[in-house]
Amino acid sequence: MAAPLAIAHTHVHSLRVSTGTCAGAEALVARVLAADGTAGFGCTLNDDAGVARDMAAWDALGKSRQVPLFKLLGGSYRTTVAVTKDDLPALRPDWTELRKSILEGRYELLRIDPFAWGSVEMVQTIAASAAAFELGVALLAPNAHPWEIQYCAALAATLKGDDCRVILRKDFPEREIRIKEDPGIGIDWTVEPSFQSIKWQDPR
Amino acid sequence: MVHAGSMYVIQKTERTVVELALDNGVTGLGETWGTPEAYALCARFAKTWLGKDALDRFALRDATLGRSGYDNRNGRNGLAAFAGLDLAAWDAAGRSLGLSVAELIGGRGRESMDVVCTLPAAIFPKAVSRSELTRHHDELSNTRKVVDFALGQVKKFGFKSFKLKSAACSTEWDWKLLNELKEAIPAARIRFDPNANYPPAVATALCQRLDPLGLEFFEDPTGELEGIARLKAAVKTPVATNMWVVRDEHLAPAIRRSAVDVVLGDLFMWGGIDAWRRMARAAKVFGLKPALHSVYETGIATVANLHLASALPEVEYPNDAGLHFLSSDVLAEPQEVTEGAMKLPAGPGLGVTLDRKKLEKLTLETQSLQ
Repeated sequence: MAAPLAIAHTHVHSLRVSTGTCAGAEALVARVLAADGTAGFGCTLNDDAGVARDMAAWDALGKSRQVPLFKLLGGSYRTTVAVTKDDLPALRPDWTELRKSILEGRYELLRIDPFAWGSVEMVQTIAASAAAFELGVALLAPNAHPWEIQYCAALAATLKGDDCRVILRKDFPEREIRIKEDPGIGIDWTVEPSFQSIKWQDPR
Repeated sequence: MVHAGSMYVIQKTERTVVELALDNGVTGLGETWGTPEAYALCARFAKTWLGKDALDRFALRDATLGRSGYDNRNGRNGLAAFAGLDLAAWDAAGRSLGLSVAELIGGRGRESMDVVCTLPAAIFPKAVSRSELTRHHDELSNTRKVVDFALGQVKKFGFKSFKLKSAACSTEWDWKLLNELKEAIPAARIRFDPNANYPPAVATALCQRLDPLGLEFFEDPTGELEGIARLKAAVKTPVATNMWVVRDEHLAPAIRRSAVDVVLGDLFMWGGIDAWRRMARAAKVFGLKPALHSVYETGIATVANLHLASALPEVEYPNDAGLHFLSSDVLAEPQEVTEGAMKLPAGPGLGVTLDRKKLEKLTLETQSLQ
């Protein structure tokens, strides 16, 4: 389930982040240009450009239609999502292990890193499995970067179940985040000054 | 055509058609059961939807049905009524966003899909009583009429897949008829559906006897979840259900009990496209195959099922479909079966248009809320 979008051009750029505890780390930032010219952006602080491209395509679709991500995915189960500090390990991106964990009743809360699982579709599929077994889903923003946190919050809006939260490995000033109604994923890209100086390829 | 099975013998169907008009001028089409309960609930729920955002279906679902199965005080009818409105919301959302429902669900994966022709348990010129149905099964040569009916459907529509309904009057009848069908149409995929009206021991013995035929699956050969799980363990043919795994909370017990191979989910029992899609994703993760159940629905629901099958790679089995048996439809565009398959309409939303004249001719009752 990739974003249903006619993609005209994609470009992935590498930059050094300057914000938060991960300052100095490398981020991959993707730009997807829809056929109608709308630009969407995605990112990851791991080395999988695929997740950044997937995010960018959904962002472009939302911006092109002027709706937030949750309205493309079916709606919102919540208007805010809890943020908690949690040091427990996230489930590795391994379906066999996920199945086993669920069937053995190992967890009440599935902790997943959406950047490691790779796409919106993967998160939706895990959430469907969790819902069938009445399990909560916690989305890990692994580096607690504002971009990661916002992506997790945008996804959290669409996940069924009472126990859905964003987890960080560090304290966060707020106990919950309001789900944004901005078109697309709602990430504020300007928190990284170097983002604005990226020279995106001209598709022509 | 008279539909004869173990649950009912019917000659007509009633459906609720929903039109959902948005502020932006877009109208979405939906459909659900035509029972008085579902119809009344549709109207009741629709009142609470006025002024709400049709693109925020999850919030609408929670507001309409509550957050858990326990909150839904209207049971099956509540889910079905919601599903009718939900379908209209999907259509309206697709039209507003310029995307087909299939694209919104997950992408247009296939443009044409095989569909399944339902075969009545026995052939009658008009609806009959249960005792007449039973007497008819005493004469085993009557099975030939069903085989001839199936051959007629192959000739007319090119069907490659069939669902034999069983009246569960006679295991001898079912065994003989299924053998005759396999002989008459060797390449056909055949599913067998007694609607859980055989007791577990009888059903298991019959299904073991039918195993060598290589049927597509046994659909609800018996009940309940425990009975069907024991039967599944005793046969080689896949086992499907449209009766015992029909809501979110049924899925985990079925997976844990390894009760079925196929969740033949009905859009209206599951409470709409979002719930169906969620079921399909979870089922696939745990090795079950989701498939689309249908009874006698208008073109609206038939096309909705095509969008689901097109969008979800999890759906491998052909869709049930009964539209070709109906003497009329409510859509302007004919939804035809050709070579046993139906085409996914093009365009945003469901890609279909309501034919008001046809609808008015069929209308029994109507309500407008604003």
